[in-house]
Amino acid sequence: MIRADFRLERIGLSIQAEFSVPAKGVTAIFGPSGSGKTTLLRVLAGLEPAVGSLTVNDACWLSPNSFLVAHKRRLGYVFQEPSLFTHLSVWGNLQYGWKRGSRPAWSVDDVVEMLSLGDLLKQRPETLSGGEQQRVAIARALLGNPRLLLFDEPLSALDIESRSQLMPFLEKVLQHNDIPAFYVSHSPDEVARLADHLILMEKGRVVDYGALAEMLGNLDSNLALSDEAFSVLEGTIVQSSAPGLTCVKTDGGHRLYVPLHSSEAGSAVRLKVSAKDVSLCLIKPDKTSIINILPSNIKSISKVSNNGSRTLKLDAGGAQLLSRVSDFSCQQLQLRPGLDVFAQIKSAALVF
Amino acid sequence: MQPSDITALIISLKLAAYSTLILLVLGTPLAWWLSQTRNRLKPVLEALIALPLVLPPTVLGFYLLIGFAPSGPIDSLLDSLGIPSLAFSFQGLVVGSVIYSLPFVVQPLQTAFVGLGKRQLELAATLGAGPLDRFFTIVLPLSKLGYLTAAVLGFAHTLGEFGVVLMIGGNIPGETQVVSIQIYDHVEALDYTSAHTLALGLLLISFLVLLAVYGINRQSRLVTLQ
Repeated sequence: MIRADFRLERIGLSIQAEFSVPAKGVTAIFGPSGSGKTTLLRVLAGLEPAVGSLTVNDACWLSPNSFLVAHKRRLGYVFQEPSLFTHLSVWGNLQYGWKRGSRPAWSVDDVVEMLSLGDLLKQRPETLSGGEQQRVAIARALLGNPRLLLFDEPLSALDIESRSQLMPFLEKVLQHNDIPAFYVSHSPDEVARLADHLILMEKGRVVDYGALAEMLGNLDSNLALSDEAFSVLEGTIVQSSAPGLTCVKTDGGHRLYVPLHSSEAGSAVRLKVSAKDVSLCLIKPDKTSIINILPSNIKSISKVSNNGSRTLKLDAGGAQLLSRVSDFSCQQLQLRPGLDVFAQIKSAALVF
Repeated sequence: MQPSDITALIISLKLAAYSTLILLVLGTPLAWWLSQTRNRLKPVLEALIALPLVLPPTVLGFYLLIGFAPSGPIDSLLDSLGIPSLAFSFQGLVVGSVIYSLPFVVQPLQTAFVGLGKRQLELAATLGAGPLDRFFTIVLPLSKLGYLTAAVLGFAHTLGEFGVVLMIGGNIPGETQVVSIQIYDHVEALDYTSAHTLALGLLLISFLVLLAVYGINRQSRLVTLQ
């Protein structure tokens, strides 16, 4: 486990954090910009002094009477803007972490191959594109054999194309090793695709934390009460019977059809479903252009938010689905917890 | 050129070389501290270091002379350590030059260190590099040009020093008689030919040093651009 309970107070920069997440998988730190996400990450890295405690797998990194300095924490930190050592070649950058860390389970060659850096090794950082620089930075972080990987919005400084090129690499890195990672983001798409756990931040405070589905389905959170609310369905790509569409079999056993995607059959994928793209019907609709209709059961209903809508949490055959419906419709259909409904998913997309 | 002129030239070059070396070693931690600290005493220290920029060298020389004077504060301290007096000695000149040229070394270094930014150092720390490791593998290579500027300015400024040397050197041939004072002596003695030779020599040396520096500077900039 990674347990934190600390505060940092400085002019224009104060955060208060109390959370514990498993030291496994990806924990996304999510919140609007200016909510203190980067500062939280910097405290985890030991780059900002905070008061309180922090333990990582029983190793104490911060306590009222001790502070483990950053260079002894063994980290892999990837900054928002590409930050390579400008006086070293790509190879020199990779070696920097490799020489100072303990030997990881993988070799330099493995990492170079995993991130497709073979052709770049002799180049100078300034000759690389932003996406290539981030790939080198990720490789450099891995080669130090870190105990913790820290990503500070590594995609946000890139253009859309480089972003979608870098994403598969990121996913590969995060899913194919046992190193726990924190991933700062304000993008629901990135969270949906990468996160296993979620820490929600608002105005410098950690307001909630826990497993991804649990957090997304917490109808008291500001996220669930906003039009940004979304749910994530996990599944596998299977042979599609509908031409021009990709079929995903969810872990709950439903088949969902999504816009054509290049991933091969058998690959595990995640679907991000925006709550406002899910409408509800009391009887099974026919003659509709909507393909994905899941029989569901209403678990709970949120309060009415500022724009007159409610968020409903549904159980769609074991999977959690959120739906955003106006309070008016709720009353018209007399929606209440326990009621069986049909959830029409207007659009579901494989994230990226 | 007379043999005494050559001796003076060698003393000048030796003085400049020693002073520059000492200044780089002393100036590095000083400039680093100034570049990082938020201490309230920072402006005081900065003002003290910059004093030689505005003070007439004779003022500095005067105080040093008093300090070095037999049974003066510095002298008695050195005496108790078994070190001979600094007044009218080459070592005394080195001490004077170091103080006199301090801003010319500290300021370029400080500028270079500030220009580094925090990011590269933070990165190195997260990758496991301790403070000294960071200094030698990140700060030093990235501050190359700052060090070059500091070394050249420190060297050139010491080479051209006159007032301080005049006050504390005593103009002893082969010990504290440097070129700038030798030229002055030649002019006083109306020996313009010797003054010319020496002045031209100093001019050429200075020009060649600067040319070499700007040449290196240009090349390293070209390398960075490529």
